Amino acid sequence: MNDIVDFPYPVPEYGAEPFWQACNDEQLVMQRCELCSKLRWQPAPLCTFCASDQYVWAPLSGRGRISTWTVVTHPVHPAAAARVPYVVVEVELEEQRGLRLISNLQGTDHDAIEFDAAVEIAFISHANGQKLHVFSLA
Amino acid sequence: MDSIRDLACIVGIGHTEYSKDSGRSELKLACEAIQAALDDAGLRATDVDGISKYTMDNNDPVEIARCLGIPHLRFFSEVAYGGGGGPMGTIMQAAMAVATGQAKAVIAFRAMNERSGRGTARFGQAAASAGAGGPSSYVAPFGLFSPAQMVAMAARQHMHRYGTQSSDFAEIALTCRHHANMNPDAVMYGRELTLDDHQSSRMISTPLRLYDCCLETDGGAAVIVTTPERGRALRQPPIMIAAGGLGGGSWNHRFMVRDLDAGESEATIIAKRLFNDAGIRHEDIDVLFIYDHFTPLVLMALEEYGFCKRGESKDFIAGGRLRWPDGDLPMNTSGGNLSEGYIHGMQNTIEAVRQLRGVARCQVEDANYAFVSAGNAVPTSAMILRRDS
Ligand SMILES: [Zn+2]
Repeated sequence: MNDIVDFPYPVPEYGAEPFWQACNDEQLVMQRCELCSKLRWQPAPLCTFCASDQYVWAPLSGRGRISTWTVVTHPVHPAAAARVPYVVVEVELEEQRGLRLISNLQGTDHDAIEFDAAVEIAFISHANGQKLHVFSLA
Repeated sequence: MDSIRDLACIVGIGHTEYSKDSGRSELKLACEAIQAALDDAGLRATDVDGISKYTMDNNDPVEIARCLGIPHLRFFSEVAYGGGGGPMGTIMQAAMAVATGQAKAVIAFRAMNERSGRGTARFGQAAASAGAGGPSSYVAPFGLFSPAQMVAMAARQHMHRYGTQSSDFAEIALTCRHHANMNPDAVMYGRELTLDDHQSSRMISTPLRLYDCCLETDGGAAVIVTTPERGRALRQPPIMIAAGGLGGGSWNHRFMVRDLDAGESEATIIAKRLFNDAGIRHEDIDVLFIYDHFTPLVLMALEEYGFCKRGESKDFIAGGRLRWPDGDLPMNTSGGNLSEGYIHGMQNTIEAVRQLRGVARCQVEDANYAFVSAGNAVPTSAMILRRDS
């Protein structure tokens, strides 16, 4: 188990595959309800707001603001030992109030992170080939 | 009937020792805790016909029945969401079962080797897996694994919004340790904790330090629930369930990252009915049991259950008011999840019963009403318990 050098790769939930496929194309997408036009996260078969099961995978800008974060200092996964300290960030995406996504914040002095700071998306590759969304200060 | 008020009572409590390595199976722990609760109540296993368990608990009700010699099970149920739904949810299931005549006496219990890992994986550690599915697929690839890391993000929001300080979190940890130091059964008995100790303790995930996080413990704890008519004929004074409830909603994430903007929470949902059902006000509560998995969530629970306004918990707890004997509202008087032992909240209920029986080590004078909450930031449960009049 000590040969696990990376955080777990995502095993897509049934129905969420288009999200991860879009990441591989370096595009952030989420389900947009065709009835009420609201976006939802995490992926779900029915709309969070109106329960419609009609949706499209809509492209998003990848811009947003930091709604909260933590600097993880105590490693709880084998791969974390070589990664601490690292920043887990929650980003509120610009398309919709309350639409928040967990990710990492890259290339920033930990002491310089602030609430509501503007961030933009980038994509990095997991060792298994899956691309993952990450953010950096805009 | 429009509430559970006074339709059921707790008549027996029991627990094993709390340790880092129990040296025996989770089934053995469950049976020992249940036998202790039956002895306390003056009941035999054959008097029991129901078992209510946490979904997360590894023990099978029929295995427990086989070991203890319960010939007929007429009721069995389980409650989701771990330390949220479990602690009071299992007791509410038991209460509803006896109140509706489905069972005569029901066990609610929790037993786990959560610290040694002999049966249950440690909650504070991540599985050393290469891939993450389900809800974890959206967070684990980014190194978000443990409840502490998730709660840290909500704690930071609370600090930003309300000016809450790490020293306010510390007051919760110090209060629980203060009580544990008067409880020889507590894992942290005899280990003083100062504000300096808290502030210099290892950072786990900013802003959460080591002493903001609960223990990890091996052990078992159980209660026996029956009707007031049966309860009044037993060995111990029955402790009445004055009100109880479960709460959750669409704002609950599938992991423990909270949304402080939602306005409502699992706790506010319960609070709306709890005091009304019990027919009392917050001021009538004599002793508090707030589920203490992480110190910031205790502050949020005090606010969301309505003991104080949002953002005012740091002022509400100031001056040591949660500490026995001088504080006017002692909380977690046996040391709580933070310092007594982490049996997923069930041990807090046991101490609430002791308080209302008048036999607690840190006994609150004339304790008539106890408020007991389960873990927040996930769908949860809470109760108001009352001394029989
Ligand atoms: Zn919709």
